[in-house]
Amino acid sequence: MKPTAPLAVGAHSPLHHGSASRRSLLRGIAAAALAVPAASVLAACGDDDKSSTDPNAPVELSIFWWGGDARAKMTEDALALYTAKHPNVTFKKTWQANAGYYDKLATLTAGGNAPDIFQIDDGALSEYAERNQTLDLSKYADSNKLDKSKILPGLWQAGVVEGKPAGVPMGENTPGMIYDKGLLKTLGLPEPTTGMTWDALIAWATQVTTKSGGKVFGTMDPSADYKALWVWLRQQGKQLYDGKKIGASAEDLTKWFDLWKGARDTKAAPPADVVHTANAGAVANQLVVTGKAATSFMWANQLPELQKATKSELGVVAYPGDPSGQWARAALYFSVYKGSKHADVAVDVLNFLVNDVEAGKILGTDRGLNANTDVRTAVASTLKDSAATAAQFETDLASKFGTPPAVPPKGHVKVRSLLITYAENVGYGKATSAAAADAFLKEANAALAG
Amino acid sequence: MQPSLAELGPRTDAGPLAPSRAARRRGSSRRGEATAGYVFLSPWLLGFLGITALPMIFSLILSFTNYELLDDWSQIQFVGFKNYQRMFTEDPHYWHSVGVTLRYALIAVPLKLAAALGVALLLRRDRKGNGLFRGLFYLPSLLGGSVALALVWLAMFSRDGAFNAFLGIFGIQGRPWVNDPDWSLSTLIVLAVWQFGAPMVIFLAGLKQIPVELYEAASVDGAGRSRQFWHITLPMLSPVLFFNLVMEVIHGFQGFTGAYVLSNGEGGPVDSTLMYTLYLYVAGFTDFKMAYASAMAWVFLLVIGVITAGLFATGRHWVHYSDGGDK
Repeated sequence: MKPTAPLAVGAHSPLHHGSASRRSLLRGIAAAALAVPAASVLAACGDDDKSSTDPNAPVELSIFWWGGDARAKMTEDALALYTAKHPNVTFKKTWQANAGYYDKLATLTAGGNAPDIFQIDDGALSEYAERNQTLDLSKYADSNKLDKSKILPGLWQAGVVEGKPAGVPMGENTPGMIYDKGLLKTLGLPEPTTGMTWDALIAWATQVTTKSGGKVFGTMDPSADYKALWVWLRQQGKQLYDGKKIGASAEDLTKWFDLWKGARDTKAAPPADVVHTANAGAVANQLVVTGKAATSFMWANQLPELQKATKSELGVVAYPGDPSGQWARAALYFSVYKGSKHADVAVDVLNFLVNDVEAGKILGTDRGLNANTDVRTAVASTLKDSAATAAQFETDLASKFGTPPAVPPKGHVKVRSLLITYAENVGYGKATSAAAADAFLKEANAALAG
Repeated sequence: MQPSLAELGPRTDAGPLAPSRAARRRGSSRRGEATAGYVFLSPWLLGFLGITALPMIFSLILSFTNYELLDDWSQIQFVGFKNYQRMFTEDPHYWHSVGVTLRYALIAVPLKLAAALGVALLLRRDRKGNGLFRGLFYLPSLLGGSVALALVWLAMFSRDGAFNAFLGIFGIQGRPWVNDPDWSLSTLIVLAVWQFGAPMVIFLAGLKQIPVELYEAASVDGAGRSRQFWHITLPMLSPVLFFNLVMEVIHGFQGFTGAYVLSNGEGGPVDSTLMYTLYLYVAGFTDFKMAYASAMAWVFLLVIGVITAGLFATGRHWVHYSDGGDK
């Protein structure tokens, strides 16, 4: 700075410099603020323009499922095999536990950001298909790009909503009562059998509770479990759903709630708070795993997952009552998002996952018995331990299955949670069986209608 | 007050000989400053418009429709006040959730403020180690609405949890607290009260502002501890108390995370923890009834607004500003 400069100027000129550089800084920020979104807009446009018809153009498919570590490993390996065969196709894989899965899927879908491929079950398939969020697979099935010739017709049909195939069934399962074999051996009690009546189960369970000195309750109380209720209703010639209504009467439901109230009163089943922890559905909280009860009401294909969570040996039988109450159910599906930019590739991936024998061997029976009969035969010989037990159980039971019911209607998810609420109301002693039955019927029917 | 050099700077620079030029310059630099101001504001402004104002207006519109989460836009129909009507007259869960939320807020807020004030009074003096204690008491608030904390609560207050093991030492048979519909809400209230650190820090700051002379004068006049508290501490602290009260009431009504985690997102057992915000979430994202959830959100906003306005109205009678700020 020149010493001749007047003092006043000298005093404020650094400040002036300061404001000038501040201003240029501002200009810089403004420019950056404008440039950054502009650049990302350009980049986004670039992405959109990649809709080329070149079959070897790189494609990244997003895929989303729920499940545990084991399922993640199998699914990732099967997808890697697809990438090995089609190097231009890669996957953005996202998976999480069942809790919160549907909340996230719904949010993504509502925002138009649903994954290209997502796992879904019969609870939600109608919701998504009726709202036009799943890709109609008809034309792929007609042109054989999605080969359904070896897929069991009943399972394929279970993925058809309002005449349009909306999901590719990835497996078949059926309800299975999983029990603690190890514990029964220790206590010297007989194992439960397929075909034993509900009353016989409860009587047997009372023995277990007594013999274990009250430490382990004989059976889980499945009064809040829609599939247990459904099997029980079917054994009396009824259904859980009659079109868009509940197929059971208030008397049926009262009888059902009373049955389990009796079981709790005789200590065959644990108190409501213990049952409540299992009702949320997480495998780790099932009473047969936590050692609180000798049985859990699950799907048969979940046996290996439960077995992994406990040291005691587990076994599986049908739900009590006549096994004709059970049916072969499409365990879960993969669907393609209607808005997927790579729908053709996504369908090809599903075709691969369901029909390719190698892929089937990698996936195993984690999502249920394979839907493709050839794959099922090939996979059967590779199964080990509890996976083999579960598959054997289901294969043996197949001849006794009743006709499969219609796929649950839209509103099923709400009905499921209403049943939990009202069964627990009875369990905690907050409502009588009859009052809970009335309230459940009223609200469930409203949910199905709306 | 003397204008600072920075304010004078550009003016002296122009010089007194060119007033019109200076004025023009001043005008343009004002405009420039305004632009700069908006540029600096733009992140907030864009954020406010894009992720607060527009979605809010949108949700207000939605609340008069039949929109469900996954519907196409073409399926939307206006249904007038039907959502509001259903809420007030047909939905028992709605009034239930209002009751749960009121019980939660009315118990948790006073307890939390009392705990915060009590601990702040104990820690107000600069004794050795008080800094550490202030930090420790603040710690739970840092973890605040975290999911991890709620999970810890779930583990501690279940049937086989640490709390029952502790009670067991004294031969007391515990309850399955979080899984017992009669106690689950209380567990949530304890979780909320335990996080009293944030209001405590604000109380501490407020206590420091009270002139020591007031206490000295009072003790010369023979006022004991409790009289000093009621006649000096409390009135002098009332603006801070008012601030904390308003914040905590709003916070209390919005309680969500604890209830969500403890009940697996369902408000159980048997709806005992179905707080308003949780029911709103369930309605919107689990049941897909987004229009209904929007209507719930707007009623909620109005009610919190009315309650806050009510607090401000009562505040006039008991909040004392020592600089006469309430005049």
